[in-house]
Amino acid sequence: MKPLTLRRVLWSCAVLSAVLLGIVLLALRLGAVPFSFGDLGQNLWWLVSGRPGKISTDFRLIMVDIRLPRILLGIVVGAALSVAGAGFQALLRNPLADPYVLGVSSGAALGAILALLAVPAIPLMTPAAAFLGAAATIAAVYFLGRRQGQLDSGTLLLAGIVTASFLSAMIMFLMTTLASRELRGISFWLMGDLSTTLPRGLLWVLIVGFLCAAGAILTTASDLNVLLAGEREAMHLGVDVTRVKLVVYISASVLTGLAVSVSGAIGYVGLLVPHVMRMLFGSDYRLLIPTSAIGGAIAIVLADTLARTVVAPTELPVGAMTAMAGAPVFIYLLRRRLA
Amino acid sequence: MPRENLTSSSSRIEVKDETGRTVRIPQPVLRIVSLAPSVTETLFALGVGDRVVGDTDFCDYPPEAKRKTHIGGPLSPSIEAIAALHPDLVVGTRGINRLDSVHALEQLGIPVYATDAQTVEQVLTSTERLGELLGAAEAGRMLKANLRRRLGEVDRRLAGLTPKSVLMIVWLDPLMSVGRDTFLDDALRRAGAHSVIDSPQDWPTVDIEQVVHLQPDYLIISNDNAEQVQRELIQLQERPVWRRLEAVRNRHFIVLSEAMSHPSPRLVDGIEQLARALYPSAFAAEAAFAGSSAWNCQRYAMASSSQPLSPFLQIGGCR
Repeated sequence: MKPLTLRRVLWSCAVLSAVLLGIVLLALRLGAVPFSFGDLGQNLWWLVSGRPGKISTDFRLIMVDIRLPRILLGIVVGAALSVAGAGFQALLRNPLADPYVLGVSSGAALGAILALLAVPAIPLMTPAAAFLGAAATIAAVYFLGRRQGQLDSGTLLLAGIVTASFLSAMIMFLMTTLASRELRGISFWLMGDLSTTLPRGLLWVLIVGFLCAAGAILTTASDLNVLLAGEREAMHLGVDVTRVKLVVYISASVLTGLAVSVSGAIGYVGLLVPHVMRMLFGSDYRLLIPTSAIGGAIAIVLADTLARTVVAPTELPVGAMTAMAGAPVFIYLLRRRLA
Repeated sequence: MPRENLTSSSSRIEVKDETGRTVRIPQPVLRIVSLAPSVTETLFALGVGDRVVGDTDFCDYPPEAKRKTHIGGPLSPSIEAIAALHPDLVVGTRGINRLDSVHALEQLGIPVYATDAQTVEQVLTSTERLGELLGAAEAGRMLKANLRRRLGEVDRRLAGLTPKSVLMIVWLDPLMSVGRDTFLDDALRRAGAHSVIDSPQDWPTVDIEQVVHLQPDYLIISNDNAEQVQRELIQLQERPVWRRLEAVRNRHFIVLSEAMSHPSPRLVDGIEQLARALYPSAFAAEAAFAGSSAWNCQRYAMASSSQPLSPFLQIGGCR
């Protein structure tokens, strides 16, 4: 493996960011309401060059108020899920781990359902209750997943999986017995859906939350590299294993909680993107975490653009798109690497 | 509706919609987007169909509705497609739309009025109220009076008759019927039918064992797709459990047009169809009465002539 230099990290991120920028422009251009690239360029120039007065009202409405916030949300959610996935894969030392494996999304879904049943009319209650559900699950799994006072990968994984399936069972029970009209939206939520527009303020909360939690995981990156070789080895090399695991567990869970509470359980991205980035850039976590963040953003924005356009004007839940497109892409990369 | 709700402020009026949300509606409303087939039907019945600038992929009645700009399905419409139509008002219904869509539109400053009729009477008052808000108050009043007169006529003819027990089949696999708090359950009652299913859920999943135990007199399907209905009825008769139903052995099937499953003024057509199918003798005398739902009958007759239905089928209201 080539030694990791700052230069290489920056170059890799720059290349991925360029791809992301291209995808974002494409996502801005495509949608139920057609705009030409010329229109897009012209109006974007006006927007960037500080002459917003010249922008057409339709452009402002469709691009600035609808598509751009949705793309930004997609970027944050995708980055959060992928970094969380990479974190859980290291923490649990299991390649099958994804952000939802420990039940965070099921807890969030249960919170969202309860909020929809109790106070359906208040717009921000659903994400708030979903986040509370996620937080409660994180805490419960933490206490269930400890052995001799510290997090044990195997125990944590089993405790998480069992909690997840128990919560899923509760969700199914509520959905079949209560079948209230307010729950109609929940199937979209369970699939993962970016169509809800959030207030600007909440988007900022999300971005700050993402930066803090992803930054926390990044500070443990070199320790995670050692940890992957084995806990005992890491301890001998002077890694504070207990602290690293706790930081990664909490940060990855918070990232997942933030993502699912605004967009529902978008599948596959958190599992696949870290693996794809490992194939492309190697498994050094100092590179893997930033590349996963950008890669996740690319994956979600691309998937959501498809979800908005393939059967326009009807929109598909983005989760349906990531599940459909994710598996073939992954299999292709896996086989290519083996060839 | 109480008048106090309407408080004027410049060119907007602030009203409570049927789900209790406060909506500020600009006056006059010239551009309307409908989020549901029943809403589209109501708007056309009120005579404001020309102000509808967008509706859903599923809005097919009246035929003009199909030519409007479509904004997607009722569950996941494209918010930007709606915004691009610059509507003064979006009208949806709690019955099939998602609250998420409502919030997303509100975020953009587009007012959304939601209807939520749970009885036939509420369908009528909801229609009249929409008329008021859209500046078609007179049309709304007349429409309501006319619908009420037709319902009164059905009541008069069915007076003294014992209701017949029915199973409304909303969906076959899994078997779904109607709950007690729905407009459809109330419509069945108005047509002299009594649903054997009594559930607090709106569209309960029903165990066929329970239906065998309750033995409804008739099975009712509301669907305009004759081929699908025929396929379902043939399937249904091949299932051993279903053959234990008296209604299946006697081929007591009633197929109604989709008018019956939409909470719009057309619902009264559906009620008339069903009442006539259940109690032909009560309607035998006068031919004039048949005129009121002539369009549906023609439509149904057309659908069935292209794909002839089995002779055992009893087609509601199309005799």
